[in-house]
Amino acid sequence: MKTSPKIQKEVIECCKAGDEKAFAEIVLHSQKKVFNIAYRMLGNMEEAKDLAQEVFLSVFESIKDLKEEIKFDAWLTQITLNHCRNRWKYLKRRQYFNSESLDDPIETEDGNMPRVIYDPSDNPETLYEKKMIQQFIQKGLLKLKEDQRELLVLRDLQGFSYEEMAVLLGLPEGTIKSKLHRARMDLKEVLERSAH
Amino acid sequence: MDCEKVRDRFSSLWEKELAPSEEKIVREHLSSCPGCQKELERFEKTMRWLHSVGEVEVPDGFLPELYKKMEGRKGATPGGKARGRWFRFPLSLKLPVQAVAMVAIVFLVLYLTKMMPMEMFRLKETQPTSSPLPVEKKSEQVLAQKEMGKERRVMETPPETPRPKEAEPAQAPAAAEGKEEGALVAQMKEEAKKVEAPPQKTEIMAYQIEPKDAERARVPSPEQGKVQKGLVAKEKSVLASKPPQEIILRISDREKVIFQLQELVKQFGGEIVRAEDNMLLASLPTASISEFEKELGELSASAKADKAIAQKQAVGGLRAAPGVKREEVDERNRESARRVSDENRTVVRILLIQE
Repeated sequence: MKTSPKIQKEVIECCKAGDEKAFAEIVLHSQKKVFNIAYRMLGNMEEAKDLAQEVFLSVFESIKDLKEEIKFDAWLTQITLNHCRNRWKYLKRRQYFNSESLDDPIETEDGNMPRVIYDPSDNPETLYEKKMIQQFIQKGLLKLKEDQRELLVLRDLQGFSYEEMAVLLGLPEGTIKSKLHRARMDLKEVLERSAH
Repeated sequence: MDCEKVRDRFSSLWEKELAPSEEKIVREHLSSCPGCQKELERFEKTMRWLHSVGEVEVPDGFLPELYKKMEGRKGATPGGKARGRWFRFPLSLKLPVQAVAMVAIVFLVLYLTKMMPMEMFRLKETQPTSSPLPVEKKSEQVLAQKEMGKERRVMETPPETPRPKEAEPAQAPAAAEGKEEGALVAQMKEEAKKVEAPPQKTEIMAYQIEPKDAERARVPSPEQGKVQKGLVAKEKSVLASKPPQEIILRISDREKVIFQLQELVKQFGGEIVRAEDNMLLASLPTASISEFEKELGELSASAKADKAIAQKQAVGGLRAAPGVKREEVDERNRESARRVSDENRTVVRILLIQE
């Protein structure tokens, strides 16, 4: 996993006791991971920010129920995934994603950018191209099924191990591997289709 | 190894998880299969792009906004906090408060349940008088039939239909003053000559002409209800459904005639329902009415019995003198007529006029 070193047990205990400083420390330590998972799952900065804040509110309210401090990271990721699933359902019901396609301009931190032409032979050199590709991938991820996107985000973007994923998703490692391969192949298909 | 199996191992090949022997077989297939080779290139490109996706920076003001949300939630649930505070109160304080609240609830429930039967009773009391409207419609139908010359049908109108107006003739003579009696007799005589049509017709006409009376009958006051209730038991089984017939007797010796009347009524198998100053209300078998009238004619001092069919219209003039006492009598008479259930009996009202 690419995440920073694990948060200290004492900080979690202080947060359990209602210490807001300890809570702020936890937020600063974990906000990037939570926000990035949320952004890759939802594809929208504002939604991701709101969702990440909701996740930390849930953490603050229920951290006293956390039995083993050592499992805090997995617990936090689980809360984040649950929030993402619920938010995705909510947005889907309101047809939030229906109007969007890979041809639409892509929202980025620097504003909207035109879509990238997918060509497997090209080699992204410039920063601009790299950003375009990132957003292109993001749009491709949103075209996948939710569980496939979860697997790709956790494994290929967040760097979770198969073991951690098995615990988080409650699936055997072999199943996760085969599902992940299917998700990667589907993403390839989506990107190729959108290029033609 | 076929193409599909080779392509299923692309992920394992990418993550270098294949056993050396298996990797060798896959590589051999790829070198000899341009389709799979191209497919692997595309797969690796996708994976490179996927892994090139970097992390996004968290927007500025993430933590302050989070604090604001936390404050907002604290302020948004004051009720929840209040409930929490209640549970923290000591039992010595909570128990008396709960006991007082419980007593208050019990009293409230008792008060409500005691009120309810009273309300129901009042409703029941008002129900019988709410029927005049359909009766009015029926009366209109009867009138129409009459106009077509079907008098028989009119006579067969349902006896149980409560007609507020039907009782009017019974009340009027009872309350009539001495001066009015002469006028009443004259009026009735005239009408007996003029009006050849059966009494029901004029009754219906009168009912239609006097809507105010109908209104009064429809909406009785609670006091009226109480008066009715007291009288019902006595007169229950006796009264007939048809409008009471009215017979006027001119007498000289009142007490003697009354005694004779009572005897006569008993003789015909009837009974005196009510006896007042100048009025007797008797219930008689319908079959013996004509005989009874003959006997009465002989009894009369003037040897002349003035017979008039009691009609609301006919006695309308007598109702001109209003008063509390008079209204009570009206109510009793109305009730008497309404209580009629036996079709074989007829109520006869005998007016005694001193000569």
